[in-house]
Amino acid sequence: MGIHDIIEGKRQWRAHLARIKALPRDYQIVYKEIQRYFFKVGPVGLADGSLLPDLLDFFEEGAATGKGVLELIGDDVAAFADGLIKDSRTYAEIYQESISGEPGTPGK
Amino acid sequence: MDNLTEMLKGTLEGCVLEIISGEETYGYAITRRLNELGFTDVVEGTVYTILVRLEKNGLVQVAKRPSGVGPPRKFYTLNDAGREELARFWAKWEYITSRLDKLREGGR
Amino acid sequence: MSFWDTITGNDLTREWQEFEVRAAALPAGHRAAWEEIKGHILSYSDFTGRNLMPILDSALGLLEETASDGLDIHEVLGDDIGGFCAALAGGEGARTFRDRWREQLNRNVARKLGRLGG
Repeated sequence: MGIHDIIEGKRQWRAHLARIKALPRDYQIVYKEIQRYFFKVGPVGLADGSLLPDLLDFFEEGAATGKGVLELIGDDVAAFADGLIKDSRTYAEIYQESISGEPGTPGK
Repeated sequence: MDNLTEMLKGTLEGCVLEIISGEETYGYAITRRLNELGFTDVVEGTVYTILVRLEKNGLVQVAKRPSGVGPPRKFYTLNDAGREELARFWAKWEYITSRLDKLREGGR
Repeated sequence: MSFWDTITGNDLTREWQEFEVRAAALPAGHRAAWEEIKGHILSYSDFTGRNLMPILDSALGLLEETASDGLDIHEVLGDDIGGFCAALAGGEGARTFRDRWREQLNRNVARKLGRLGG
Protein backbone atom coordinates (compact mmCIF):
# COMPACT_ATOMS: atom_id res chain seq x y z
CA MET A 1 0.00 0.00 0.00
CA GLY A 2 1.59 3.26 -1.06
CA ILE A 3 0.87 6.90 -1.40
CA HIS A 4 0.22 6.40 -5.07
CA ASP A 5 -2.27 3.68 -4.32
CA ILE A 6 -4.44 6.23 -2.56
CA ILE A 7 -5.88 6.92 -5.88
CA GLU A 8 -5.15 3.50 -7.27
CA GLY A 9 -2.52 3.58 -9.87
CA LYS A 10 -0.72 6.08 -11.93
CA ARG A 11 -3.51 7.29 -14.13
CA GLN A 12 -5.64 8.29 -11.16
CA TRP A 13 -2.65 9.88 -9.50
CA ARG A 14 -2.09 11.95 -12.62
CA ALA A 15 -5.76 12.90 -12.62
CA HIS A 16 -5.32 13.93 -8.99
CA LEU A 17 -2.38 16.16 -9.95
CA ALA A 18 -4.38 17.66 -12.80
CA ARG A 19 -7.17 18.56 -10.38
CA ILE A 20 -4.67 20.35 -8.14
CA LYS A 21 -3.38 22.29 -11.13
CA ALA A 22 -6.91 23.33 -12.04
CA LEU A 23 -7.43 25.06 -8.67
CA PRO A 24 -6.95 28.83 -8.31
CA ARG A 25 -3.36 29.75 -7.39
CA ASP A 26 -4.01 30.45 -3.71
CA TYR A 27 -5.78 27.10 -3.29
CA GLN A 28 -2.94 25.30 -5.08
CA ILE A 29 -0.37 26.81 -2.76
CA VAL A 30 -2.23 25.88 0.40
CA TYR A 31 -3.16 22.41 -0.84
CA LYS A 32 0.44 21.59 -1.67
CA GLU A 33 1.79 22.87 1.62
CA ILE A 34 -0.77 20.83 3.55
CA GLN A 35 0.03 17.73 1.50
CA ARG A 36 3.72 18.24 2.20
CA TYR A 37 2.99 18.56 5.91
CA PHE A 38 1.02 15.30 5.82
CA PHE A 39 3.88 13.51 4.05
CA LYS A 40 6.05 14.38 7.03
CA VAL A 41 3.55 13.71 9.80
CA GLY A 42 2.34 10.51 8.10
CA PRO A 43 -1.30 10.10 9.17
CA VAL A 44 -2.56 6.64 8.24
CA GLY A 45 -5.38 8.17 6.19
CA LEU A 46 -2.74 9.19 3.67
CA ALA A 47 -2.49 5.81 2.00
CA ASP A 48 -5.54 3.86 3.09
CA GLY A 49 -8.11 6.60 3.25
CA SER A 50 -9.55 9.42 1.29
CA LEU A 51 -7.85 12.25 3.18
CA LEU A 52 -6.28 13.95 0.16
CA PRO A 53 -9.02 13.38 -2.45
CA ASP A 54 -11.63 14.61 0.04
CA LEU A 55 -9.62 17.69 0.84
CA LEU A 56 -9.40 18.37 -2.86
CA ASP A 57 -13.20 18.01 -3.15
CA PHE A 58 -13.59 20.52 -0.37
CA PHE A 59 -11.19 22.97 -1.99
CA GLU A 60 -12.92 22.63 -5.34
CA GLU A 61 -16.23 23.42 -3.69
CA GLY A 62 -14.74 26.43 -1.93
CA ALA A 63 -13.07 27.71 -5.08
CA ALA A 64 -16.36 27.36 -6.99
CA THR A 65 -17.99 29.85 -4.61
CA GLY A 66 -15.31 32.40 -5.41
CA LYS A 67 -13.96 32.56 -1.87
CA GLY A 68 -10.26 32.97 -1.15
CA VAL A 69 -8.65 29.92 0.43
CA LEU A 70 -7.89 31.59 3.77
CA GLU A 71 -11.43 32.86 3.91
CA LEU A 72 -12.48 29.24 3.63
CA ILE A 73 -10.19 27.63 6.18
CA GLY A 74 -8.97 30.53 8.34
CA ASP A 75 -5.47 32.00 8.68
CA ASP A 76 -4.04 29.19 10.77
CA VAL A 77 -3.53 26.61 8.05
CA ALA A 78 -1.61 24.30 10.38
CA ALA A 79 -4.52 24.25 12.82
CA PHE A 80 -6.81 23.32 9.96
CA ALA A 81 -4.44 20.57 8.82
CA ASP A 82 -4.12 19.18 12.35
CA GLY A 83 -7.90 19.25 12.67
CA LEU A 84 -8.15 16.99 9.65
CA ILE A 85 -5.94 14.33 11.22
CA LYS A 86 -6.91 14.83 14.85
CA ASP A 87 -8.20 11.30 15.45
CA SER A 88 -5.81 9.72 13.01
CA ARG A 89 -2.90 7.56 14.07
CA THR A 90 0.40 8.15 12.33
CA TYR A 91 2.84 5.68 10.79
CA ALA A 92 5.39 6.91 13.28
CA GLU A 93 3.11 5.98 16.17
CA ILE A 94 2.49 2.54 14.72
CA TYR A 95 6.20 2.00 14.26
CA GLN A 96 6.98 3.16 17.79
CA GLU A 97 4.33 0.82 19.19
CA SER A 98 5.74 -2.06 17.20
CA ILE A 99 9.20 -1.63 18.66
CA SER A 100 8.06 -1.05 22.22
CA GLY A 101 5.68 -3.99 21.95
CA GLU A 102 2.76 -2.03 23.32
CA PRO A 103 0.78 1.08 22.55
CA GLY A 104 2.96 3.94 23.66
CA THR A 105 3.51 7.62 23.22
CA PRO A 106 6.06 8.46 20.57
CA GLY A 107 8.07 11.60 20.36
CA LYS A 108 8.58 12.31 24.03
CA MET B 1 -18.11 38.11 20.88
CA ASP B 2 -14.44 37.76 19.90
CA ASN B 3 -11.87 35.17 20.87
CA LEU B 4 -14.26 32.38 21.61
CA THR B 5 -12.18 29.93 19.63
CA GLU B 6 -10.39 28.24 22.52
CA MET B 7 -13.47 27.91 24.67
CA LEU B 8 -15.64 26.80 21.80
CA LYS B 9 -13.28 24.07 20.66
CA GLY B 10 -14.70 21.24 22.70
CA THR B 11 -18.31 22.13 22.05
CA LEU B 12 -18.27 22.83 18.35
CA GLU B 13 -18.68 19.18 17.45
CA GLY B 14 -21.81 19.03 19.60
CA CYS B 15 -23.14 22.18 17.94
CA VAL B 16 -22.63 20.66 14.51
CA LEU B 17 -24.35 17.43 15.57
CA GLU B 18 -27.29 19.45 16.89
CA ILE B 19 -27.62 21.39 13.63
CA ILE B 20 -27.48 18.22 11.55
CA SER B 21 -30.06 16.55 13.80
CA GLY B 22 -32.62 19.16 12.74
CA GLU B 23 -32.54 18.39 9.04
CA GLU B 24 -30.29 17.14 6.29
CA THR B 25 -27.72 19.83 5.61
CA TYR B 26 -24.26 20.60 4.20
CA GLY B 27 -21.04 22.25 5.35
CA TYR B 28 -21.64 25.77 4.11
CA ALA B 29 -25.17 25.90 5.56
CA ILE B 30 -23.90 24.63 8.92
CA THR B 31 -21.23 27.33 8.96
CA ARG B 32 -23.79 30.01 8.12
CA ARG B 33 -26.04 28.77 10.91
CA LEU B 34 -23.18 28.99 13.43
CA ASN B 35 -22.22 32.45 12.20
CA GLU B 36 -25.81 33.69 12.50
CA LEU B 37 -25.92 32.26 16.00
CA GLY B 38 -23.09 34.62 16.87
CA PHE B 39 -20.08 32.35 16.43
CA THR B 40 -18.66 34.65 13.79
CA ASP B 41 -15.11 33.28 13.94
CA VAL B 42 -16.14 29.84 12.74
CA VAL B 43 -15.07 29.30 9.13
CA GLU B 44 -16.11 26.56 6.71
CA GLY B 45 -12.77 24.83 7.10
CA THR B 46 -13.35 24.31 10.80
CA VAL B 47 -16.75 22.79 10.13
CA TYR B 48 -15.22 20.64 7.40
CA THR B 49 -12.67 19.12 9.79
CA ILE B 50 -15.51 18.28 12.17
CA LEU B 51 -17.61 16.72 9.41
CA VAL B 52 -14.66 14.59 8.31
CA ARG B 53 -14.35 13.28 11.86
CA LEU B 54 -18.07 12.67 12.27
CA GLU B 55 -18.05 10.69 9.05
CA LYS B 56 -14.98 8.70 10.03
CA ASN B 57 -16.45 7.91 13.43
CA GLY B 58 -19.65 6.66 11.82
CA LEU B 59 -21.97 9.26 13.35
CA VAL B 60 -23.47 10.60 10.13
CA GLN B 61 -24.95 9.42 6.87
CA VAL B 62 -23.50 11.14 3.82
CA ALA B 63 -25.11 11.65 0.42
CA LYS B 64 -23.46 13.35 -2.53
CA ARG B 65 -25.78 15.48 -4.62
CA PRO B 66 -25.21 17.87 -7.50
CA SER B 67 -25.15 21.54 -6.57
CA GLY B 68 -25.94 24.66 -8.55
CA VAL B 69 -22.32 25.81 -8.68
CA GLY B 70 -19.24 23.67 -8.82
CA PRO B 71 -18.79 20.02 -7.88
CA PRO B 72 -21.36 17.81 -6.11
CA ARG B 73 -22.05 18.65 -2.51
CA LYS B 74 -22.04 16.35 0.52
CA PHE B 75 -25.23 16.30 2.57
CA TYR B 76 -25.27 14.99 6.13
CA THR B 77 -27.89 13.39 8.35
CA LEU B 78 -27.46 11.86 11.80
CA ASN B 79 -27.67 8.10 12.22
CA ASP B 80 -28.47 6.29 15.48
CA ALA B 81 -24.89 6.47 16.72
CA GLY B 82 -24.90 10.19 15.96
CA ARG B 83 -28.09 10.73 17.91
CA GLU B 84 -26.62 8.86 20.87
CA GLU B 85 -23.48 10.98 20.67
CA LEU B 86 -25.60 14.13 20.58
CA ALA B 87 -27.53 13.02 23.68
CA ARG B 88 -24.21 12.37 25.44
CA PHE B 89 -23.01 15.83 24.44
CA TRP B 90 -26.03 17.58 25.96
CA ALA B 91 -25.76 15.48 29.11
CA LYS B 92 -22.12 16.52 29.51
CA TRP B 93 -23.01 20.09 28.74
CA GLU B 94 -25.71 20.10 31.40
CA TYR B 95 -23.30 18.65 33.89
CA ILE B 96 -20.61 21.26 33.20
CA THR B 97 -22.95 24.25 33.25
CA SER B 98 -24.62 23.09 36.46
CA ARG B 99 -21.19 22.77 38.11
CA LEU B 100 -20.15 26.19 36.83
CA ASP B 101 -23.33 27.78 38.13
CA LYS B 102 -22.68 26.24 41.49
CA LEU B 103 -19.13 27.52 41.47
CA ARG B 104 -20.21 31.04 40.67
CA GLU B 105 -22.96 31.09 43.27
CA GLY B 106 -20.60 29.77 45.90
CA GLY B 107 -17.99 32.39 45.03
CA ARG B 108 -20.29 35.29 45.68
CA MET C 1 18.40 -6.33 -1.55
CA SER C 2 19.19 -9.58 0.23
CA PHE C 3 19.53 -7.66 3.48
CA TRP C 4 16.05 -6.33 2.99
CA ASP C 5 14.79 -9.79 2.08
CA THR C 6 16.13 -11.26 5.26
CA ILE C 7 14.61 -8.76 7.57
CA THR C 8 11.29 -8.17 5.96
CA GLY C 9 10.31 -11.09 3.79
CA ASN C 10 9.85 -11.37 0.09
CA ASP C 11 6.55 -9.60 -0.27
CA LEU C 12 8.22 -6.35 0.65
CA THR C 13 10.90 -6.79 -1.96
CA ARG C 14 8.50 -5.85 -4.70
CA GLU C 15 7.41 -2.77 -2.80
CA TRP C 16 11.05 -1.98 -2.27
CA GLN C 17 11.80 -2.27 -5.98
CA GLU C 18 8.94 0.11 -6.70
CA PHE C 19 10.54 2.63 -4.35
CA GLU C 20 13.77 2.39 -6.28
CA VAL C 21 12.01 2.90 -9.61
CA ARG C 22 10.35 6.01 -8.23
CA ALA C 23 13.59 7.24 -6.70
CA ALA C 24 15.44 6.80 -9.99
CA ALA C 25 13.11 9.35 -11.56
CA LEU C 26 14.10 12.04 -9.04
CA PRO C 27 16.58 14.83 -9.85
CA ALA C 28 20.10 14.31 -8.47
CA GLY C 29 19.76 16.37 -5.29
CA HIS C 30 16.53 14.70 -4.31
CA ARG C 31 17.89 11.26 -5.19
CA ALA C 32 20.89 11.84 -2.94
CA ALA C 33 18.54 12.90 -0.17
CA TRP C 34 16.55 9.69 -0.68
CA GLU C 35 19.70 7.63 -0.21
CA GLU C 36 20.44 9.52 2.96
CA ILE C 37 16.91 9.19 4.33
CA LYS C 38 16.90 5.49 3.50
CA GLY C 39 20.17 5.03 5.37
CA HIS C 40 18.82 6.73 8.47
CA ILE C 41 15.43 5.05 8.47
CA LEU C 42 16.87 1.60 7.79
CA SER C 43 19.22 2.00 10.72
CA TYR C 44 16.12 1.75 12.92
CA SER C 45 14.96 -1.46 11.36
CA ASP C 46 14.80 -4.68 13.29
CA PHE C 47 12.20 -7.40 13.05
CA THR C 48 9.60 -4.79 12.40
CA GLY C 49 11.05 -3.29 9.25
CA ARG C 50 7.60 -3.73 7.76
CA ASN C 51 6.33 -0.79 9.77
CA LEU C 52 8.97 1.45 8.28
CA MET C 53 7.67 0.99 4.72
CA PRO C 54 4.82 3.52 4.95
CA ILE C 55 7.21 6.03 6.52
CA LEU C 56 9.63 5.61 3.63
CA ASP C 57 6.72 5.80 1.22
CA SER C 58 5.60 9.15 2.66
CA ALA C 59 9.15 10.47 2.59
CA LEU C 60 9.48 9.47 -1.04
CA GLY C 61 6.13 11.12 -1.74
CA LEU C 62 7.47 14.32 -0.25
CA LEU C 63 10.60 14.15 -2.39
CA GLU C 64 8.62 13.49 -5.57
CA GLU C 65 6.16 16.23 -4.91
CA THR C 66 8.76 18.85 -4.05
CA ALA C 67 10.95 17.82 -6.99
CA SER C 68 8.07 18.25 -9.40
CA ASP C 69 7.64 21.76 -8.03
CA GLY C 70 11.32 22.49 -8.55
CA LEU C 71 12.01 23.07 -4.86
CA ASP C 72 15.53 23.01 -3.54
CA ILE C 73 16.07 19.91 -1.43
CA HIS C 74 17.66 21.96 1.29
CA GLU C 75 14.53 24.04 1.62
CA VAL C 76 12.49 20.87 2.04
CA LEU C 77 14.55 18.95 4.58
CA GLY C 78 16.61 21.56 6.36
CA ASP C 79 20.08 20.98 7.77
CA ASP C 80 19.43 18.10 10.08
CA ILE C 81 18.41 15.13 7.94
CA GLY C 82 19.19 12.71 10.76
CA GLY C 83 16.88 14.55 13.12
CA PHE C 84 14.30 14.87 10.38
CA CYS C 85 14.32 11.10 9.84
CA ALA C 86 14.14 10.35 13.55
CA ALA C 87 11.08 12.59 13.64
CA LEU C 88 9.53 10.82 10.65
CA ALA C 89 9.79 7.59 12.60
CA GLY C 90 8.41 9.18 15.75
CA GLY C 91 11.67 8.95 17.64
CA GLU C 92 13.44 11.46 19.78
CA GLY C 93 12.60 15.06 19.03
CA ALA C 94 9.47 14.18 17.06
CA ARG C 95 7.39 16.72 18.97
CA THR C 96 9.83 19.51 18.30
CA PHE C 97 9.99 18.63 14.64
CA ARG C 98 6.22 18.49 14.37
CA ASP C 99 6.05 22.01 15.81
CA ARG C 100 8.70 23.09 13.37
CA TRP C 101 6.79 21.55 10.43
CA ARG C 102 3.65 23.27 11.61
CA GLU C 103 5.40 26.64 11.69
CA GLN C 104 7.01 25.92 8.34
CA LEU C 105 3.58 25.20 6.87
CA ASN C 106 2.13 28.53 8.00
CA ARG C 107 5.27 30.46 7.09
CA ASN C 108 5.39 28.99 3.58
CA VAL C 109 1.72 29.70 3.02
CA ALA C 110 2.07 33.30 4.23
CA ARG C 111 5.14 33.88 2.08
CA LYS C 112 3.72 32.34 -1.07
CA LEU C 113 0.31 33.94 -0.76
CA GLY C 114 2.05 37.23 -0.05
CA ARG C 115 3.95 36.85 -3.30
CA LEU C 116 0.64 36.43 -5.09
CA GLY C 117 -0.24 39.84 -3.77
CA GLY C 118 -3.34 38.46 -2.11
